[in-house]
Amino acid sequence: MAEESFLADEFLRQLMSVGEVDLLIGIPSYNNAATLGQTLQSVEESLRQNFVRERAVILNVDGGSADETRQIFVQSSDRRDVAHKGLTSLRTIHRISCEYDRSPSQGIALRNVVAAADLLRAKACAVVSPATANLTPSWVANLLRPVYREGLDFVAPLYVRSRFQGLLARDLLYPMSRAVFGQRIRELYSDEWGFSGRLASRCLEKDVWHEDAVRARPEAWMAITAASSGLKCGQYFLGPKSAAPPGTGPDIVEAIRQTVGNFFWCMETNQAQWMTRSSSQPVATFGPDHELSLDGIPPSPEKIFDLFRSGVSELEPILASILALDTHAQIKAIALSDRARFHFAPELWVTTLYEFAASYHHAVLNRDHLVQALVPLYRGRLYSFLLENANTSAEAMEVQSEILCQEFERRKPYLVERWTAKS
Amino acid sequence: MKEVVLQGLRQAYGNLVHMFAEFLPRLLVMLVIVGVGLLVAYALKMILRAVLHVTRLDRLSEEAGASRFLRMAALPSMTELLSRSLFWVTWLGFILIGISVLGVAGLQEQISRLFLLLPAIFVAILILFLGLVTANFTSRAALLAAVNAGYPSPKLLSWSIRFVIWALAVSMALEQVGVARQTVIAAFSIVFGAFMFGMALAFGLGGKDLAREFLERNLTEKKKEKFHEPQPL
Amino acid sequence: MLLQDENLWYKDAVVYQLHVRTFCDSNADGIGDFRGLSSKLDYLQELGINAIWVLPFYPSPLRDDGYDIADYTSVHPSYGTLQDFKDFLTAAHNRRIRVITEMVVNHTSDQHPWFQEARGSRESPKRDWYVWSETDTRYHGVRIIFIDTEMSNWAWDPISKSYYWHRFFGHQPDLNYDNPAVREAMWEVMKFWLDIGVDGFRLDAVPYLIEREGTSCENLPETHEIIRDFRKRIDLAYPGRMLLAEANQWPADVRAYFGNGDEFHMAFHFPLMPRMFMAVKLEDRKPIIEILEQTPQIPDTCQWCIFLRNHDELTLEMVTDIERDYMYDEYAVDKAMRINLGIRRRLAPMMENDRRRVELLTGLLLSMPGTPILYYGDEIGMGDNVYLGDRNGVRTPMQWNGGWNAGFSAADPERLYSPLISNPVYGYQAINVDSQRRSAHSLLSWTKSVIQTRNAFRVFSRGSIEFLNPSNHRVLAYVRRLGDEKVLIVNNLSSSAQAVELNLQMYKRHIPIEMFGRNLFPRIGDLPYLLTLGPYQFYWFRLRRI
Repeated sequence: MAEESFLADEFLRQLMSVGEVDLLIGIPSYNNAATLGQTLQSVEESLRQNFVRERAVILNVDGGSADETRQIFVQSSDRRDVAHKGLTSLRTIHRISCEYDRSPSQGIALRNVVAAADLLRAKACAVVSPATANLTPSWVANLLRPVYREGLDFVAPLYVRSRFQGLLARDLLYPMSRAVFGQRIRELYSDEWGFSGRLASRCLEKDVWHEDAVRARPEAWMAITAASSGLKCGQYFLGPKSAAPPGTGPDIVEAIRQTVGNFFWCMETNQAQWMTRSSSQPVATFGPDHELSLDGIPPSPEKIFDLFRSGVSELEPILASILALDTHAQIKAIALSDRARFHFAPELWVTTLYEFAASYHHAVLNRDHLVQALVPLYRGRLYSFLLENANTSAEAMEVQSEILCQEFERRKPYLVERWTAKS
Repeated sequence: MKEVVLQGLRQAYGNLVHMFAEFLPRLLVMLVIVGVGLLVAYALKMILRAVLHVTRLDRLSEEAGASRFLRMAALPSMTELLSRSLFWVTWLGFILIGISVLGVAGLQEQISRLFLLLPAIFVAILILFLGLVTANFTSRAALLAAVNAGYPSPKLLSWSIRFVIWALAVSMALEQVGVARQTVIAAFSIVFGAFMFGMALAFGLGGKDLAREFLERNLTEKKKEKFHEPQPL
Repeated sequence: MLLQDENLWYKDAVVYQLHVRTFCDSNADGIGDFRGLSSKLDYLQELGINAIWVLPFYPSPLRDDGYDIADYTSVHPSYGTLQDFKDFLTAAHNRRIRVITEMVVNHTSDQHPWFQEARGSRESPKRDWYVWSETDTRYHGVRIIFIDTEMSNWAWDPISKSYYWHRFFGHQPDLNYDNPAVREAMWEVMKFWLDIGVDGFRLDAVPYLIEREGTSCENLPETHEIIRDFRKRIDLAYPGRMLLAEANQWPADVRAYFGNGDEFHMAFHFPLMPRMFMAVKLEDRKPIIEILEQTPQIPDTCQWCIFLRNHDELTLEMVTDIERDYMYDEYAVDKAMRINLGIRRRLAPMMENDRRRVELLTGLLLSMPGTPILYYGDEIGMGDNVYLGDRNGVRTPMQWNGGWNAGFSAADPERLYSPLISNPVYGYQAINVDSQRRSAHSLLSWTKSVIQTRNAFRVFSRGSIEFLNPSNHRVLAYVRRLGDEKVLIVNNLSSSAQAVELNLQMYKRHIPIEMFGRNLFPRIGDLPYLLTLGPYQFYWFRLRRI
């Protein structure tokens, strides 16, 4: 029996009308009525300014919004030549939309985007989020240009960050992905990225769309797929990363479940590619490699330490099943140390993460639970970082970050050893 | 008189010896059967283990997701589980055969009743298994969530959940095999009800401040957020 | 009613534009003439056109291909005599072909006796017939039209030691229409030709008649006053004669030249033309739709003139910089093809000799609202020579056959006014009337049949237009309506096959009948009407309700 297609008839009809395109911009949405209009404006302006002659389509994939998100998209028109800052477009800028009726998922949205990219033979694609309040036309162009003009297959963004922002990326995801997969992509998990039609077609063929890891955070999987397939990756400097107001941002537990869970799954499914890699390579970078600003609201470290300490204590049996004896003992020891002199050494952090990764591979317990068990330890590491860098300069922080990256790379054989050990 | 008693004793002794003489061979046979059964069961276990290793059942089980359930329930791998199950089933069978050889009246009947109970026992074991898996999984999930959210007494919460699920599973299993059905139902209802009542009292009276804080934290918008964690991504 | 309708003949016209010099030489001097043109009227009648627009044939130093006129009421000796012209006119009228001539009202040649007199003395009565100045700073900021050759709109006259105003070449001084004598003189010229029997005038460079300080010196109210005056006089004395405006402006600005039906009868729709070429290259109907949506309504007695190519460069004045760059990159990669913000190429070479694209554009020309003008030679797919100076590359001799001088002239080839196109692709041996006449499937035969179909249905010339906007932007579809007559036109602008669903709810139960083969298509029902088209294919359907 033929497998049911996930592409709705109406969507396919819209694709037929568009025909072949050069550029495709995907906008996954869910209850983004407040910001979608601004996002669309930025995308259109970018196309009019930077890709005047190219055939382009803007695709909205909606996860069943309860507000007016879909209506806003459908009603917007691209014929605003006169009022539109004097910009004209040679060609029709198409707008098509589709909806999926399961719970909102980046992975399902992306599947529709890559399917459209494949069917329309798009050369360069970008995914942007309506939730990014400071998305500008240049951002869209910067994600598309390296793919369309320089022949890259995946373009990750680079941001100006406040020094207390993005620590999960800086302290865990970036150094670990760099060591494991060998590509120095700083922002593997982001809300906007660019990719080629070639990569889209490859991703579409993979039968992983039902996996929770891909449904939550598909962008890193795309990047890793590109790297594993020998396609070219790069990163482009965009600007300041929009900061969520305090208390409304993504929950750390959810963030770790999605990103670390996704990352471990990627390790699991790409073993052959990363095990033999012994060092990392820089990727094509456009603009400054990194930028740290010394602003940002200092977080409340005390509570973070309390959570770390209670986590180590309460999760002792779980951690015992994940970590090696020695590592567990060290963590218990530092949990009992004086908070004013607390230090979560980079070496211990690396060992911990590698043991978690190996335990994930051996499935010593439910994998989602395993990832959640990392949260208190991450908080410990976070507390240590905040204590030690309250007044550190941006350059010094970057040096420390590089040292951590190198530690990850140096200890990679340990990861391989734990990974391949018989359970 | 003395002769009568002695004769009586001699007869009794003779009967006893006769009984033992009759019983002992059967006992010996039973022991032999059980011993042979042990060897056979062990041999079958080893053979099955070897066969399952060759056919890579563990890998299939991993891919099918069954291994996950086994781990959740802190059970060994599929190969090991099946091998050990075969061992016990085989040996149990031999034990039952051995017992039947003993020829103890009434015991035969019990043994046949035991065999009739086997399907119910199987279902009961399954319920216990699922109960164990669910209890382990849910209690661990609750523990992790409570720890990461900073709730007080996460272990208490985790243990409570495990207890409730376990109690339910045990009650269902006992009911399934028909052991003291009414008592079990009543006992479970009482214990469970008391537990929930106790929790309600604790929450309602003793922990009303905590309850209020809990509700405020979860049902109203997070305006009074005192804890600020930096944006992770 | 009939008389009224006769007076609106220009609305139903299919105009053929030619220069008498290029068409046929009867006296073997290497230059086409009126006798030669007369001998080819049968061909034009056979083609199906019903009006000829003849480019300037007046005495002239020919420094601007005849638009620099030295005598308004005569015929250049190279083209014959005034009697030859009259004979041509009579022969054309006998074949029910009208004749439109040029009236270059804005300027004369500096060799014209009027100018010779005016420059001769500051006290001459004709001095004020032109626009003079002691300095070249008046009317500062007014744009230069011939940017490739002119540095200023003022030229120094060494004879009268002053500057004179010229919007075109320096040897074409502008007439001063603030002087009533000029207007009267021009009216006398018009009368001269109207009395002979000419059916209409194309008024050249009409926006530039009047100058005023602090303005762009284009489209000024006084210009319209002058036109209204001419029109009133023509309507009174010569009803049924037509005035056609050459005003290269945005449609909203050209609208003014129709007045309230009391100025020009017709005007060229310049901005539509490059957009048709753009739409085919972009494979997107957007440029056409946008310009037509910006085109204002005009009085019922008026008509737009639409065209693909003409004797001038394909003008890119009325497009944006982005659009101009695109057109240059797509159609004029070789800089020799570019002149004066335009492209000096013919239709067929621009279409890379792709018969399907030539047919598509011709089909668009003949089905869109307006009076179509065909440029001589495009009906057989003539080529061009961009290396001849100015715009002469699109003004080469008409190719009649593969023989001596392409049948254009019996003269020595070296004597021809212009070299023939002789390359293997577009040369006269390959592209000529005779060989295409032999085939029922040649471009010539096809053009004939399309014109014939168009002429059979008034809806094309007088009907309204309603754009359907199917979701497939590569398809341009519209319905022309006139009373009960409805025609559906569907054009595939792309190089690949397309499917399109048309919303024809309003025409439910109608039967589309394809107009060339006259075959029936499925009746229009409730669902969107699905059509598939091959690359560059188009359909004309008559929608009949039976």
